[in-house]
Amino acid sequence: MPQARFNDPVRALGLAKRFGTVRAVSRIDLNVAPGEALGLLGPNGAGKSTTLSMLTGLRAPDAGEILIFGHRAGSPQARALTGATPQLVGFPDQLSPREILGYAAARYRVRARIDKLAACFGLERIVDRRVAGFSGGEMRRLALALAFVGEPRLVFLDEPTTGLDGAAQEGFQEVARDFVAKGGSLVLTSHHWDEIEAVCDSITLVDRGETVLEGRIGDIRKRASVSRLTFSLPPETVPPEWMQAVHDGARWHSECADSDKTLRRMVHEALPFHGLTVAPLDLKDVINRIRREETGP
Amino acid sequence: MTRPLRAECALELKTLVRQPGFWVPTVLFPAMLYAFFGAQSAGDWAANAMAAFAVYAVLGVGFFQFGVSVAQDRESPFANWQQTLPGHAGNQWIARVLASLVFVTVAVALVVALAFVLGRVEVGAAALVRLAFVCLIASFTATFMGIALGSLASARAAVPLANLIFLPLAYLGGLWVPPMALPSAVNAVSQWTPTRAMGELGWAAIAGTRWDPGYLAVLLGWTVISVAVVVVAHARHRRHE
Repeated sequence: MPQARFNDPVRALGLAKRFGTVRAVSRIDLNVAPGEALGLLGPNGAGKSTTLSMLTGLRAPDAGEILIFGHRAGSPQARALTGATPQLVGFPDQLSPREILGYAAARYRVRARIDKLAACFGLERIVDRRVAGFSGGEMRRLALALAFVGEPRLVFLDEPTTGLDGAAQEGFQEVARDFVAKGGSLVLTSHHWDEIEAVCDSITLVDRGETVLEGRIGDIRKRASVSRLTFSLPPETVPPEWMQAVHDGARWHSECADSDKTLRRMVHEALPFHGLTVAPLDLKDVINRIRREETGP
Repeated sequence: MTRPLRAECALELKTLVRQPGFWVPTVLFPAMLYAFFGAQSAGDWAANAMAAFAVYAVLGVGFFQFGVSVAQDRESPFANWQQTLPGHAGNQWIARVLASLVFVTVAVALVVALAFVLGRVEVGAAALVRLAFVCLIASFTATFMGIALGSLASARAAVPLANLIFLPLAYLGGLWVPPMALPSAVNAVSQWTPTRAMGELGWAAIAGTRWDPGYLAVLLGWTVISVAVVVVAHARHRRHE
């Protein structure tokens, strides 16, 4: 991993935060370089939202340090350089997206490019309507536009595409990749693994308030370069013991490090398989596998 | 006015103005109460009743609406998000106070207009200007008291709590019943209420007499206490959040 620098977009070390007796976050480290998109992953209650609220300066960590471009999180300098998605509840619903975006642009003291933003996030038809009565998807698109309106160099996105239809999801991923390609940095939380793969180049996995895995997605894949063979067998036939295959009710699945070797052996043993596919393991399964190996039996 | 402050004022005013369900009753209520309970006063007290209900209008908008909206905002995710934007949080408070002043002005103007329409008061322009000035001072105290309440109470508790404080204060301060008609025990307590101080200043404005420094001190005291409560409450929120 490249050496972390003082003025990187995000440098967070040893974050801890407790609410009363509950330890929401106990040891989280995060680093984001310029032009990097980081996926913050973890099960519900792992501490993702608490971490985001500390990164945006809404909550002060009990321990640890956060620097945003070298400035304290939540400081005026840090806020001027970052954008974040608001949650979808409690919007002032007497206002239109144009008015809310114009307001945010004024807070950032940037020119309000509202029509351009509306085009990027599919808001053209609703930009002058009042927010009252917006669907969940429309609110989500407005929230995304609000994260980008201040021309920030670092953007925090909490569950950016939950509730969006396919076209809007792709539209967002395009905007996100374009932003990163131009040197912007992203931190996003998501439950969609394919979205993380489509947008992010690295991930930080948190569980029970701790960072349990971090790295570039490419490196993680290399650490566990595992393929999955999927095939069907005639009824009453089972794959040999060495394949450790599992049946999902319709087809057999087997994970292997060297798919060529496995395939040759299957042919050699004259296994009557049909409809065989070979695919790299999903990121989610790769990560589960690495964690199984690390915690070990 | 800087661009962020203008934007803040526009956001605040548009949001409120587009909710007639909020502001119409808010600005009408003091005038209505005046028509029922204040406009009957005759003779010397007629102009004073107008001043009392003008002060009541200030308190209603500044304290009541403010307190409730601050409490609701504390729990609003959108207000949380506003804190992540660049710029001073102070602008939001200034915008709020200015918006509050707009509605206070309308509410007070309605009370005064009604008093003239009903033909019961005869006060000169100078007295009205003095009364307007008292209302301005009173709205700062009322607003800070509202912010203090909103900083302590949850959104759900803010409305009943505001009623519980606001209505007795109006009575104790002699805004509904003239102070001389209050029982002596109540009158003793009355001396220390912010509403009495506001009322007394209002009556002095009508009469053109000197402002009693004692009442000014009471008003200042309540303002200082409210500001202290706000500061402590905010420090506590930051620690616990």
